[in-house]
Amino acid sequence: MAEKRITIRTTRFDPDKDKVPRLQSYDIPFSDDSMVVLDALNHIKAHVDGSLSYRWSCRMGICGSCGMMVNGVPKLTCSAFMRDYWPRSITVEPLQNFPIVRDLVIDMEDFMHKLKSIKPWIIRKQEYPLGAGEHRQTMDQIDEFRQFSECINCMLCYAACPVYGLNNEFLGPAATALARRYNLDSRDQGLKDRLPVLANSEGVWECSFVGECSVVCPKGVDPAKAIQQTKLDTTTRFVLPYGNREE
Amino acid sequence: MTEGDEAEASTGATPRVYKPEMPRGWWLRRRHYLLYMVREFTAVPMALWLLWLLAEIHRAASGPKAYYPAASPAFIVFSVICLGFAMYHSITFLSLAGVIIHLKFMGKPVPPRTIVGAMFGLWLVASVVIAAVLIGFAR
Repeated sequence: MAEKRITIRTTRFDPDKDKVPRLQSYDIPFSDDSMVVLDALNHIKAHVDGSLSYRWSCRMGICGSCGMMVNGVPKLTCSAFMRDYWPRSITVEPLQNFPIVRDLVIDMEDFMHKLKSIKPWIIRKQEYPLGAGEHRQTMDQIDEFRQFSECINCMLCYAACPVYGLNNEFLGPAATALARRYNLDSRDQGLKDRLPVLANSEGVWECSFVGECSVVCPKGVDPAKAIQQTKLDTTTRFVLPYGNREE
Repeated sequence: MTEGDEAEASTGATPRVYKPEMPRGWWLRRRHYLLYMVREFTAVPMALWLLWLLAEIHRAASGPKAYYPAASPAFIVFSVICLGFAMYHSITFLSLAGVIIHLKFMGKPVPPRTIVGAMFGLWLVASVVIAAVLIGFAR
């Protein structure tokens, strides 16, 4: 029986030689139904063209490193099974809306800056002494923020967001979801530190609720929900008497 | 690269990167984007219809004897199209209410489906009340 094969087209861009990115085709064996797109890239790098550049790490949908556009849709390539595409060819491109550094590698500096700006850690006005023990939480309190804590910073939501594509100043989905994760945490007291970033004109109000961020999230986080709830919260705080009270 | 992307290769700074731009037809790439643009576009026919309503109110100011309602086939067709857009906007807007509103009852979160159902229920009640008032005045 003839060996099953598949065509993988990947973006190639060498900043020292190319003015614009181009697509290169590779015909590779599709030997196992459990193969994912990342396996195809690894096969190309190991056996066909060692110069192909891309990011990956855990290969199990946890690290968020291997996000790319697969046939125009933002995907974790370690979770995109080739059997879902075969016998069609698969086009792998870098995550859209980001500058391309080389081949499939994007510049994530902007996202890292935005992530840091919302202070994604627990902020306490005054730390308990260690001897006071742990901060206890009920299951209901954890359920308040649990889904937003699943974010793995893979940036698929930024690639899916046309608002971010048109205006890179927009804070964006994942950063807002993580801000909400900490704002909803009963141990956190940092809401007022995060509000200037969330509520400014490039914050949540830039979002016009396309909703695609939540569709493409590989971890079931709902960043669109986080953004709309933050809009409601900031409005309530602005409109209601005592809305700006200390939390 | 995807057709329509325009090159903007940065120069000077290291490392040199390629900055793709959004193509004009980005909203035709995916069904979800197209539906979003339709939702945004609904504001245009609704605004036109409301402008017409303002003109009608102005016309009605000269008294009931001089007033005659617009009833041409073209106007009816225009109104039906506007109604379609208004329905699409209202249904999508109310369906999103369950996502946005975070309510608790007896310490437990109210399911989004209940919130959406309540919003549609209120919409129905409000529509019946307004229709009753308008029909009552017309008699």
